[in-house]
Amino acid sequence: MKNPYLITGVIIIGFLSLVAILAPFISPYDPAMIDQNSLLVGPSLKHLFGTDSLGRDLFSRIVYGSRISLSIGIIAVGISVSLGVFLGSLAGFYGKVIDTLIMRFVDIMLCFPTFFLILAVVAILEPSIFNIMIIIGLTSWMGSARLIRSEILSLKEREFIQAEKALGASNSRIIIRHLIPNAIGPVLVNATLGIAGAILLESGLSFLGLGVQPPVPSWGNILIESKATLGIAWWITVFPGFAILVTILGFYFIAEGLKKIIG
Amino acid sequence: MDNLLEVKNLKVEFELGAKAISAVNGVNLSIKSGEVVVLAGESGSGKTVTAMALTRILAPNARIKGGEIIFNGIDLLKSEERDLVKIRGKEIAYIFQEPTSFLNPVYAIGEQISEAIILHQGKSRKDALQEAAKLLESVKIKDPQRILESYPHQLSGGMNQRAFIAMSLACKPKLLIADEPTTSLDVTIETEILKLLMDLKRDFGFSLLFITHNLSIAKKIADRIYVMFRGEVVEEGTMQSIFVSPRHFHTRELIAAYEKIGKI
Amino acid sequence: MVSYIFRRLLGIIPLLLGITIISFAIIHLAPGKPTAVEQTMNPRVSPEVRLRLEKLYGLDKPLPAQYMNWLARLVKFDFGRSFTDDRLVLQKISERIPLTLTINILSLIFIFLIGIPLGVKSAIKQGSLFDNITTVFVFLLFAAPTFWLALLFMQLFCIRLGWLPISGITSLDYEYFSWWQKIPDLARHLFLPVLVSSIGGLAGISRYMRSSMLEALHQPYIYTARAKGLPEASVIYKHGLRNAILPIVTIVGLSIPGLLGGSVIFESIFALPGIGRLFFEAVMSRDYPLIMAEIVLGGVLTMIGNLVADIAYAYVDPRIKYKSS
Repeated sequence: MKNPYLITGVIIIGFLSLVAILAPFISPYDPAMIDQNSLLVGPSLKHLFGTDSLGRDLFSRIVYGSRISLSIGIIAVGISVSLGVFLGSLAGFYGKVIDTLIMRFVDIMLCFPTFFLILAVVAILEPSIFNIMIIIGLTSWMGSARLIRSEILSLKEREFIQAEKALGASNSRIIIRHLIPNAIGPVLVNATLGIAGAILLESGLSFLGLGVQPPVPSWGNILIESKATLGIAWWITVFPGFAILVTILGFYFIAEGLKKIIG
Repeated sequence: MDNLLEVKNLKVEFELGAKAISAVNGVNLSIKSGEVVVLAGESGSGKTVTAMALTRILAPNARIKGGEIIFNGIDLLKSEERDLVKIRGKEIAYIFQEPTSFLNPVYAIGEQISEAIILHQGKSRKDALQEAAKLLESVKIKDPQRILESYPHQLSGGMNQRAFIAMSLACKPKLLIADEPTTSLDVTIETEILKLLMDLKRDFGFSLLFITHNLSIAKKIADRIYVMFRGEVVEEGTMQSIFVSPRHFHTRELIAAYEKIGKI
Repeated sequence: MVSYIFRRLLGIIPLLLGITIISFAIIHLAPGKPTAVEQTMNPRVSPEVRLRLEKLYGLDKPLPAQYMNWLARLVKFDFGRSFTDDRLVLQKISERIPLTLTINILSLIFIFLIGIPLGVKSAIKQGSLFDNITTVFVFLLFAAPTFWLALLFMQLFCIRLGWLPISGITSLDYEYFSWWQKIPDLARHLFLPVLVSSIGGLAGISRYMRSSMLEALHQPYIYTARAKGLPEASVIYKHGLRNAILPIVTIVGLSIPGLLGGSVIFESIFALPGIGRLFFEAVMSRDYPLIMAEIVLGGVLTMIGNLVADIAYAYVDPRIKYKSS
C-alpha cells in the first residue's frame, strides 16, 4: 500500500458521507420520534444504539447527526479557506502597505482564543446552524491566510513568474493561473485539518447548548444528556463521542496522506 | 616505519528502506606515522564514508559489511563501543568541511574545546579552559580569551575552523582526519589554514589523512595519494607518479580540472 | 537582545489597540442596543434602570465616541458593572482568576513533565514499537473531543470506581476539614480537571518535541560530538536535546489561548468557578460588560503569552541573544 493513511481516511470519510446522504434510508426511525415506552433503553436489536431520555432512537439521531457535522465542517471551512486565501494572496502578492495591514489584522485576530471569539459572537447572534457555520468560518481563516501568503512570497521570485510578467500578463491572471495552483497543496492539508477542527468546535458548542439546538440532532448536543445519565446510560456517552472520534481520525488520516503526496 | 593505520577490504552499505546501496566497496589504504596521505575524488566517491567508518561514527542507517581497520595493531571493526570511545578524539580526531555547522550553536567555543580535554584527560574545568586558551594560541589566534567566550555564529568560517582544529588537537591525537576542511573557505584563508595544518603537524607530530577533490591542495601537502571513484580506490602513489602516469580515467579527469583552474 | 525586547514591546501597542477595537466591534454587531437585548433576557430591569445604563454606557452617542469612552475607562481598569448582579466586573473576574490559574499551571507542569520525555524517547527510538504505539495514542488524543474524554473519565473514575468526586473544587464539608485533610481533598477534586485540560497540550508537545529532537539529532554537530569520543548519552542529551528543547520554551507562552479556550468547556463540565465558566455564564445571560471584559482579557493574555514566548526564546538561543559580530 503506497499511502495507507490516505486510503484509510478516504474510506472512512467516504463511508461517512454515504451515511449522511442516505440518512433517511438508513435510519430505522424518525430521529425526533418519541417513544414513551422505551425511555433510556440500552442497545438492543430494536434500538441498535439504545434510546435517550425522551425515548428517541440514538442510532437514527447519530446517523442524522452526521449530516450536521459534515455540512457545518465543510461549509465553515469553505468560508474560512476562501477568506484566508483571498486575504493571504492580496498580502503576499501586493506586499508593502497592503501586506502590513492584512498581517497586522491577522496578528490581532490570532490574539483571541478561538473559543472565546466564537462564544462572544454567539452571544450576539442567536445560535443556529447557519450562524455557526459563518462564525466558525470567520474565526478560522488566519491559518490559511498566513500559509498562502508565505507560499506566494517564495514563489513570487521564481523565474517563471518573472517570465510571465515580462510577457505582459496581468496581475490577477498571474495570481489565478499560476500562484494559487502551486500554493494550494499546503492549503488543502490545512483545509482538511480545518474541517476536523470545525467539527470539534461545533460539537463543543452544541454540547454547551450554544450550537445546534435540539431537537435537531448533532453529535455534540446528543452528548448534553450524557452528564445527567453518566452511570445509567453509557450508550448516550459512548456512541456519539465515538462517531466524532472516527470522523476526526478520518480527516486526520487524509491530511497525513496529503502531506505525504506533497512531500 | 610501521603502518599506523591499515584498512583492508573495507565495505560499507547504506540501508534506504528495503534497498541497500553500496558506498564503499573493498577499499585498501594505509598511513604511516608522520605521513600526509590525501584521499582524492569527486563527491559521492565514498571518501567521507571511508573516513567516518574508521571510528564508526557513521549515520544510523550505515552497515559495515566487511574488512579490517587496523589502528596501532588493533582491529577497530572488532572493537566494542566502549573501547572506540577511548580512541575517538584521543587517538584519532577529525576536522570537517563546514566548521560553523559542525560546532554546536548553543555552547561557547571554550566549552566545546574543554569538553574534550575534561573527557579524555580528566582535568578540572578551570584547567581545561586554560589549556584551551593555549591551544587557541597554537592555532595562531591572537586573543584567545575573546574566542573562548564566543559562540560559533559570532565568528567567521576561518576563525571557527582554527578553533575546531584546536579542539581536535586538544588530546594530541596520532591521526588527524581532515574532510575537505578548506572547501567552504576563501582562497586566502585556505592557504593560511593549510600552512597552519602543516606547521601543527610538525609541532604535534600527527599523521594526516586529508580528504579533498582539489588536486592543487594535494600537490602542496601530500606524501602519497589515493584516488577514489565510486566506492573503490582506483589509483595510488605519490603525487609525482600520479601526474606523470595516471592510470585511471578519473585521475586524468581530476588532473584536467586542476590544470584548468591553474596552478597556484 | 535589549533592542529586540524593546522592538517587541513597541509592537504591542498597535496590537492592544487592535484587540480593543475588535472586541468592541464584536459586541456591537448586534442589531439594537445591548441594553435592549438585556432587557428581554432580564425583565426585572425597569425602564429607568435601562435609561440609566444607556446613559452610563453612552449608548445614545455615536459608535466611535462610545469606543473612546469605553477605551478611556478600560485604561483605568474600569470594566463597568455586570448586568446580572450589578457587581464590578473587575471583581467578578479577579475572584475567579486564582482557580483557573492554578489549574492551568498544574496542567502545564503535567504537560511538560510527561510530554517532553515522551517526545524525546520517541525520537531516540524512532520507528520502534514504543514510537509507533505512542504515535497512535497521540493521534487518538488529538481526535477525541476533550469534553467527551472528560465524560468518559468521569464515568470511569467517579461513577464506576468511585475514586474521585464528580464536580466542584471541594467537598461539602470542606470547611470542617483539618489542614492535612484539605489538601488531598483539593487534589482529588482537581485531578480530573487538570488531566482533561492537559490532554491536548500533552499530545501537541510530545509530537513537537519528537520532531524537534529528530531534527537536532541529524545535525552535523552531532557527528562532531561522537567524533570527540563522548559517550552516547552525552551526545544525545548534552548536544542533541539542548538544541531540540529551545523552541519548547515558547510553548508555555503559546499555550495560553488553548488553555483559556479549553477552560470554558471543562470548567462547565466539572462545575468549577473559574474564568472560563464565568465567560460561559456571561454568554448565556448576555452580560455584555462581562463578555467584553473577558474577550479583552483573553486577547491581552494571549498577546502577553506570545511576547513572553518570543523573549524567552531570544534569551535561550545564543544565536539571537548575542547578535553576530
